[in-house]
Amino acid sequence: MRTLLPVLALALLGLVQTAEATHFDAKAQAEFRAALEEAKKAEGNRLIGYDHQPNYANWGGVQKFFTDKYGVIWPPDMKSSVTAMAALIAEQPKPQASVVYYNAAIGVQAAERGLHEPYKPKGWELIPPEHKDPDGRWFNIHYGTIAFVVNTKALEQTKVPVPKCWSDLVKPEYRNLVAYDDPTVQGTAFDAIFTALWIHGGSYDNFAPGLEYLKKLHPNIISYNKETSYNPSLRGEIPIWIHADGSGYKMKYHDGGPIEVVIPCEGTTAFPLNVALVRNAPTPRLAKLALDWLNTEEAQRIFAEAFFRPIHPGALTPEIEAKMKPLYGSYDKIKSYDLAKKVKMVDAFKKAWVEQVRRSR
Amino acid sequence: MKRAFAPLLVLPLVVFIVVFLLYPLAYLAANSLVAGGGVLEGRTRAVGALTAGQWWAGLTLENYVKVLTDRYFVESLLHSVMLSLGVAIGSVLLCLAPAWVLVRAEFPGKRLFRAILTVPMAFSGVIVGFMAVIMLGRWGVVPAFLHWLTGEAYLSMVAYTLSGLVVAYIYFEIPRATLTLEAAIRKFDFELDAAARSLGATLGQRFWYVLVPLLLPAIISTVALAFAVSMGSFGVALIIAKKFNLLPVDIFLEITGYANFEFASALCVVMLVITLATNLYLRRLGERLYVFRQR
Repeated sequence: MRTLLPVLALALLGLVQTAEATHFDAKAQAEFRAALEEAKKAEGNRLIGYDHQPNYANWGGVQKFFTDKYGVIWPPDMKSSVTAMAALIAEQPKPQASVVYYNAAIGVQAAERGLHEPYKPKGWELIPPEHKDPDGRWFNIHYGTIAFVVNTKALEQTKVPVPKCWSDLVKPEYRNLVAYDDPTVQGTAFDAIFTALWIHGGSYDNFAPGLEYLKKLHPNIISYNKETSYNPSLRGEIPIWIHADGSGYKMKYHDGGPIEVVIPCEGTTAFPLNVALVRNAPTPRLAKLALDWLNTEEAQRIFAEAFFRPIHPGALTPEIEAKMKPLYGSYDKIKSYDLAKKVKMVDAFKKAWVEQVRRSR
Repeated sequence: MKRAFAPLLVLPLVVFIVVFLLYPLAYLAANSLVAGGGVLEGRTRAVGALTAGQWWAGLTLENYVKVLTDRYFVESLLHSVMLSLGVAIGSVLLCLAPAWVLVRAEFPGKRLFRAILTVPMAFSGVIVGFMAVIMLGRWGVVPAFLHWLTGEAYLSMVAYTLSGLVVAYIYFEIPRATLTLEAAIRKFDFELDAAARSLGATLGQRFWYVLVPLLLPAIISTVALAFAVSMGSFGVALIIAKKFNLLPVDIFLEITGYANFEFASALCVVMLVITLATNLYLRRLGERLYVFRQR
């Protein structure tokens, strides 16, 4: 733990203070539109991307905005990070998608597997170094924090208090009240189990503390869903969903659900999400322009409406930030880690989880 | 001239089957014979990346050895077979009487009744899975109602258990079972039944000695059909199978979770062989019974 590079956390905190001059001014916008019209003539007005779930980080809103304002149809895609990567592996050298979005750990893996074409979007220099690949194979656009998304009405029905800590969740009274998605399919779910590891003193090569905790949690788990649990959580079928904080705030403020967000008392971790240009993309010009746009405050502000913290600090309005208040716990409890080292342990940790947690009785 | 015309009419289907069934199956079989690994082992390969020479040099049975020796996959296999057989038999038992009613009885709303019975066919497995969760989930409609009635949420979480799987699977077998049985009963020679009645057979005797023997081949072929559909069904299990591992979900995870296409192919081939073999066996059994009764 002590040897960790606290790069990520420092950067995440530091970002809030650094002001950024917007590079997407009127002139840049006009150029962008002109280039887009040219690209549309060559490639049509349809851009295919993977892992654009409408309820995740406001992809639904982003795509609608892009279609309405720029006339490019950018349909949703229900793949998760891992299934997007698997699809790209299967489809190379003729993939169907041109852009792809991932949980950063999975996105870096995909880059290392040679699935991306290096591309540095406009405003590259404005992205902090820890949020981009030096070779341009990926860059981050925002990040989420692992939290308990709690359906308070569902907990009232079962007369159990809102949990405050990781240690609460393993108590017998939370039997059949907790869920996290299948981490071998969903990127955010991988961060859920990674956080459980990190908080309990595990490391990049010592999985035992995390697995021990997750095994204790196993009897309380309703289901390891392969599809996103956004709707079951909002409806109360899953009273406690270990997921991104933003998903909880979105349910609370956009869907009017009886939802509160809890940052566990022992701490949590934050995880960036990145985008990339797919190698051998069918519509590379549209894809590059979309990536240019994803690196603007305009795009990241729309993502921020679903409470994912943008990489460009100016994209987070004070009104949105004011709403990102957990019922219990605090964002000071975010623990840092080294993304590059985390990427290297993803597969081994997933494998250990499959063998020791999911397949356990 | 007329004779030459007939094969021409069959040709489109033959082409279709070769392109969309035989070619993919051959591909699947070929792919299952090279070493896999996938993401978790750090060995991934694009679909179709191997040349014929590389494929030939890399031939191995290791995927099949793993399917048939790894405790987890053997268990999945047994689960799938047992669940599908149970569901097939259960849905036939459930649908036999309604199918009979549809043929023999005249009542107002009969058309609507038949239409309603076919509704589940329109739903994909995923939707049926969600239905199971909404009805029998942790706080589903049924447990919530029982909680209101008795103060205790009985039947909560049933959706995620084996019983929940059986309920959901039977749900989507209803239309297939009813329609197939109805067609069989329609062909049933009711004069035989009338003859038995005029000879003084009781209702029970007519059922056991006339109806069941004559309908048995149809019943068995309905079981065979329902079994095949259940074996391959995946949407329901994807949504609700928590601890109960099933082969189609394992195949999904091997492909989308681990990008282990070679091993997934082997799982598919094994599943296919079992389904085909069971089907052939059941249908032959049905035919033999039919021949026996004819004598």
